[in-house]
Amino acid sequence: MADYALMNQKLFEGDDATVRQLTEEALAEGRQAMEVLEEGLIAGMRVVGEDFKYNRIFVPEVLLAARAMKAGMAVLQPLLTASAADTSAGTIVMGTVKGDLHDIGKNLVGMMAEGAGFKVVDLGTNTSDDDFIAAVREHGADILGMSALLTTTMVYMKTVVDAMTAADLSHVSICIGGAPISQDFADEIGAHGYAADAGSAVQLFKRLVGDRVRA
Amino acid sequence: MRPRLEIIDTTLIERIVDEALTVLETTGILVDYEPAFDRLTAAGLPGNAETHRVRFPRDVVERALATAPSGFTLHDRDGEPFARLEDDRVHFVPASSALRILDRATGEVREASSADFVEYAKVADRLQNIAYLSTAFIPKDVPPDIADGWRLYLALASSKKPVVSGAFTAHGVPRMAQMMGLFRHDLEELAEKPMAIFTCCPNTPLRWAEDAAQNLIDCAEAAIPVEIVPVMLLGMISPATPVGALVLHTVEVLSGLTVAQLIRPGTPVLFGGAPASFHMRLMTNPMTAVEALHVYCSYAQIAKHLKLPCQAYMGLSDSKFNDPQAGAESGIGMFLAALAGFNSISGPGMLDYVNCFSLEKLVFDDELAAHAHRYIRPVEVKEDLPTAALFDELLAENHLLTAEHTLEHWPEELYLPGPMVDRTNWDQWAFQGRKDHRTRANEMINELLDDYDVPPLDEALDAEIRHLFASTCDDPDVVLPEA
Ligand code: B12
Repeated sequence: MADYALMNQKLFEGDDATVRQLTEEALAEGRQAMEVLEEGLIAGMRVVGEDFKYNRIFVPEVLLAARAMKAGMAVLQPLLTASAADTSAGTIVMGTVKGDLHDIGKNLVGMMAEGAGFKVVDLGTNTSDDDFIAAVREHGADILGMSALLTTTMVYMKTVVDAMTAADLSHVSICIGGAPISQDFADEIGAHGYAADAGSAVQLFKRLVGDRVRA
Repeated sequence: MRPRLEIIDTTLIERIVDEALTVLETTGILVDYEPAFDRLTAAGLPGNAETHRVRFPRDVVERALATAPSGFTLHDRDGEPFARLEDDRVHFVPASSALRILDRATGEVREASSADFVEYAKVADRLQNIAYLSTAFIPKDVPPDIADGWRLYLALASSKKPVVSGAFTAHGVPRMAQMMGLFRHDLEELAEKPMAIFTCCPNTPLRWAEDAAQNLIDCAEAAIPVEIVPVMLLGMISPATPVGALVLHTVEVLSGLTVAQLIRPGTPVLFGGAPASFHMRLMTNPMTAVEALHVYCSYAQIAKHLKLPCQAYMGLSDSKFNDPQAGAESGIGMFLAALAGFNSISGPGMLDYVNCFSLEKLVFDDELAAHAHRYIRPVEVKEDLPTAALFDELLAENHLLTAEHTLEHWPEELYLPGPMVDRTNWDQWAFQGRKDHRTRANEMINELLDDYDVPPLDEALDAEIRHLFASTCDDPDVVLPEA
């Protein structure tokens, strides 16, 4: 019998080897990939998310759990239909804008988003509008995430927002963040979302993808 | 004896330095920028053209340490010697490059303008315990591509004092060097009489990225003194434990120092740093965290062991406002930094994770700096050992208020703080108008501004500098604010 409670627990503990093994065993037993994903992995990550939100666990535990989630996902991915993989979360293209080399915050947002089941395509730092657009197209991204830490580079976000519109990509939600960024600035340049930290960034991504699914 | 703080012993210092030299030689540093990579390999460092990793052989680093000066003199804008950074000589400086300011009139956080910067520079110029200036925050009323140089111009136009500054882009330094050169006969004279320290930050871990690598090379070429400032986040991009963090820190500083010495031997290099902790829940980067303070004071010892001048981001606060947390963090940082013998301490005025600058905090920190300077004075015998004569007089008179010894020594020994440290009793305080710290800070700021009398820049020089910005700005129609 597939023991989803055990799988959730092992995921919570960040035990990636066991999560991989339990995932394989569940499939060998004839369980549907979608069921294993929902009940074994996503249910486990939900607890991780809640516990992090309520200060019961810390960043390292969240990342370990995310790694275990990825280990299980790697087994399931080939078996999930494209549409099933899609409904699990969404695809985010992410990068630090041109002229800016700060990536610690962006990386954390990326790791946390992956932990929540998003596919994250990281373009690194110093990213131009063309590179953002090419990656959004290539990966069919639902969300474009941009980071900037300098007052001198944050203005480039507007360039990218405008270029996205010009490239007919207005349907992609644009989220921004970084120390000099505020909700006001996001509104001013026409970005769809702003978040002050990685935790709320993931909430934001979920909300935006949810809105898109409903729309 | 000068009061001094020691965190680690000599054996550990030697082991850390030795390990750092090994890492430099074996792992090396990623130089993430083709021109800089080419430059360094041409200068003789072994590098892998595919990975862009550059290794620093032990003998090359040791030669660099030998040519790096143990001290240097900062000059004012007129070319007069101003501050000697060496040994245990301590200087407090406003911290650099905040994104925002705390408005002293409204108490709100907001973006800054050139007018705010000029006000800051005038106040900082007048403060007795703030040794020299920094480009403390970014005015948002000029185009971003000239913002780095513009704030240096505003500082130099408002004060004669040297400035801690830095560039925001890979090509930022040459324009700033050119501007500083206008204050001297030529760039060689600027090299002899530097008026600024530039911050160059390696991109931890073990990487020099495009902007910083180019800035470092450009600074060395112009012999502009550089402070190499790694920003560790303990547990995030650095080992969580102090010794591992210190090795990483030392590797990065020595890599920068070696680059500078290869480009121009003798370029002054400060062993700098802004190690922070990483908050495992909030994901913030407190530089005032107690574990970060251990790393700071330990690397001061490493710098001194290597006979290098040193710099730290201490005396700032991660609080949002000038509250008890801000006072405590700033005071603790400034005392520890002074005791550790840091030569240039970037902290005064700064709040909120180096993101917000407050003039009210700056005048308060000036007072803390006075206290810290006082505290590191040697405790010496001053006609008070043996005590017989002094005690006879005390017992006879029941006080020493009018004693020869007191009259001679009290003005030097008993420090009377300025208005930012309130020493009134309750009734005196009430009688004097029940002033809180913000009221007192603003009175002081207004007085300092009234007192301000730094001669303005020579008109032709001023016009030349403004032309430099106007002609090199990306926006050809830029309208520059008044200085
Ligand atoms: C670490 C750091 C560095 C490191 C960067 C290392 C790296 N790999 O990223 C180094 C030392 C290399 C560095 C270099 C420089 N830096 Co710096 N740096 C910092 C510092 C101290 C912390 C940034 C950080 O990592 N914080 C921790 C992370 C976790 O927080 P975060 O980035 O804010 O990210 C969180 C949120 O913002 C949000 N978020 C972030 N991105 C995104 C994206 C999306 C889509 C969303 C939704 C959310 C989101 O979630 C994140 C996680 O919770 C800041 C000050 C500060 N406290 O912000 C200065 C700071 C940003 N740097 C500054 C400066 C000046 C520089 C340099 C120009 C210095 C120099 N002369 O060399 C260079 C710039 C080089 C360049 N072109 O980019 C200034 C900016 C000044 C200004 N007015 O613009 C600051 C404010 C410090 C200061 N006062 O001097 N820096």
